[in-house]
This record gives sequence, structure tokens and C-alpha cells, in this order.
Amino acid sequence: MRRLPVLPAAAALALSGCATAPPAKNYDAFRAADIHSILVVPVVNNTTNIEAPSLFLSTLPIPLAELGYYVFPTHMVARVLEDEGLSDADLVHQADPVRLCGLFGADSVLYVTIESWAAKYLVLNTSVVVSFDYVLKDGKTGATLWSEHRTAQYSSGNGSSSGSPLVDLVAMAVSAAVAKASPDYMPLARRANDEVLSTPGVGLLHGPYRPDRDR
Amino acid sequence: MPLPGRTLALPLLASLAAACASGKKQLYAWNGYDDALYTLARAPQDNERYLECLKQIIERTETSHDKVPPGIYAEYGYALFTNGQLEDAIGYYARERDTWPESRVFMEKMIRNTQRLRQGRPPAPGDGPPAPLPATSRQIDGGRRAGGDLP
Repeated sequence: MRRLPVLPAAAALALSGCATAPPAKNYDAFRAADIHSILVVPVVNNTTNIEAPSLFLSTLPIPLAELGYYVFPTHMVARVLEDEGLSDADLVHQADPVRLCGLFGADSVLYVTIESWAAKYLVLNTSVVVSFDYVLKDGKTGATLWSEHRTAQYSSGNGSSSGSPLVDLVAMAVSAAVAKASPDYMPLARRANDEVLSTPGVGLLHGPYRPDRDR
Repeated sequence: MPLPGRTLALPLLASLAAACASGKKQLYAWNGYDDALYTLARAPQDNERYLECLKQIIERTETSHDKVPPGIYAEYGYALFTNGQLEDAIGYYARERDTWPESRVFMEKMIRNTQRLRQGRPPAPGDGPPAPLPATSRQIDGGRRAGGDLP
């Protein structure tokens, strides 16, 4: 596959934080909270891309459910909040997490903020950068159970392979997408989620629907 | 200018990437739910299409006797509600509640409020988040309901 001449053979997907081992997270509070469900509220957008929050929100339910949690229906939750006058994600993020969770009967709430979602076109190099903040709060106490920040970057034309076939495939898909008029951020966004949410020691603990739940 | 080779290679790459991703055992058969959510995010006004996608996902999942993953019955119910099918919406909210007990509080509120709307009564105060008006009523009154009793 990597030898297809029409594909940029020299594409690499660089994910920050891969090279250095992150400090070990303390999961005591997370484990003690024993959460079964996650309310994913609308995403705060600190970028100028108006499509970014709804696109990114659509990438969250599946990886979270695959971790073993009940995930509230994200689109429906967003519409219901909107109809209640909370159409602004910033307002939702500022609301009391305990009250918010109480309204839906949720054990926890996940807040995501998009810090960057941008493409730069240069002569020999096109780069796409996405960057997110994730915070999970306890629905009973409002305490932060887990948080993580992730930047995922794709850059064409820097001439290296990551050594991982999957990363290279994602990189090639991103690369092909970037070549079009409108870059497709989704493979990069999904990759960031995968790295952040599902990496043991970094991501969320497994929930009750996972047979391999880590208690 | 897209090269012909690239046009061919892209779907192949996507399927290869999917094959790699499914290497780890998945809890659920999603049957294209990611695509349905993505399409909706791109065209939020196209409720008809979302409704049809969810219908097919549910049919496929039930046919293979897999458990319908979290949120899908509820999203389908809400899409039916938006389409003005209040009775059908209630049925799917109930299926979400019965499949996923974690959704009980939310689904029962939605069921109660949808029943009130069917009977032409306003949602009771303190029973938020109340169900919004269906699409048909929205067109008549020309807008969304005023804020209710959320924080």
C-alpha cells in the first residue's frame, strides 16, 4: 500500500505526547466514583471554524460507549438543551455539573473544548492541527475525575514514516483529504480521541459494560 | 486536480483502516452510526435522512440479534418526534429506557412531556428538560419555545 505512487509516500502523523511517557495518572477518585453513564454536552469552540463543534461532537459517542459506559444521545441532548435556552455551549459548560447531571440522571459529564482546528497551506507542506481539552466531572459531587489535553497534527512532505501501519494509513487518508479544497479533519479528530480516551494509563477507566473492566 | 489513482485508493485505504481498527474486539455492532452522526453534523436540517439512517441501523442490529448500542433508540425517537410522530417517539424512548436503565430518568421525562404535548397540555414546571415542540408546531409558531426551568 505504501508504495502507491500517487500517494505521498512521505507522510507522517505526529501526535504530541507519543514520544515522552506521561506522568502516571491517579485514578483513585475515578474508580471510587463508579460511574456507569456519561453525559456528553455540546463542545465549546475556541476556533473560528463554525463546523468544528458539531463535527467533533459526532466523534465522541462511539469510543465512549466502546469503553463500557452508557452514553447519553448526544444530538438529542444538544437539542433539548437548546430548546431550554442553553444553545450556547459555553453556558452549558458554566452550569453546575451536579444540577446538569441531575436533570438527565447522568453519573458524569464530559466537557470538551476545541482549542485548534486549522489547516495551513504552504508551498511544500500542508499541515493540519487539531487540539482538544477533555474534562470528565462527577455528577454527584462535581469533582473532576479525569482530564486530558491532546494535540494531533498532520503534516505533509516531511519525509518520514511513523513505523506504524495504522498511523501511516490514517496519515495517508488525511493527506489525500488535505489535498482537496476543504480538509477533512475527521481522521485526525478520531485518532486524537482514540489516543486520549482509550490508551491505558492515559484514558478513561473501563466502564461496567466492558467484560475486562479494570476495577 | 484529483488523480485517478487517488480516487481509487481512498476507499481502499478507508476499508483497510477500518479492518485494522476492528482488529480489537468491539462491544457493539454500530452498523454505520458514525456515518449517520457525521452526516447529521454536516447537514443538521436534514432530519429525514437522519431518521432513515437510524431506522436502517436499528433494523440491521435487531435482525442480527445484537443489542442496539446506547443512545440509538433515543436518537431515533427524537428524530420521530421532530417529524411530528409523537406516539412513535414515545415507543422508542421506552425502548431506550428498557434496554439501558441508565437512561431511565431522561427517557421518562421525555415520555411524560411528549404525552402532555399529545394531550395539548403544557409540561409541568420542574419537570425539565421538557420536550420541545415538534417540527409542525414550530412552523406554526415560528420559533423555539422560550427557556424553561433548566439552570
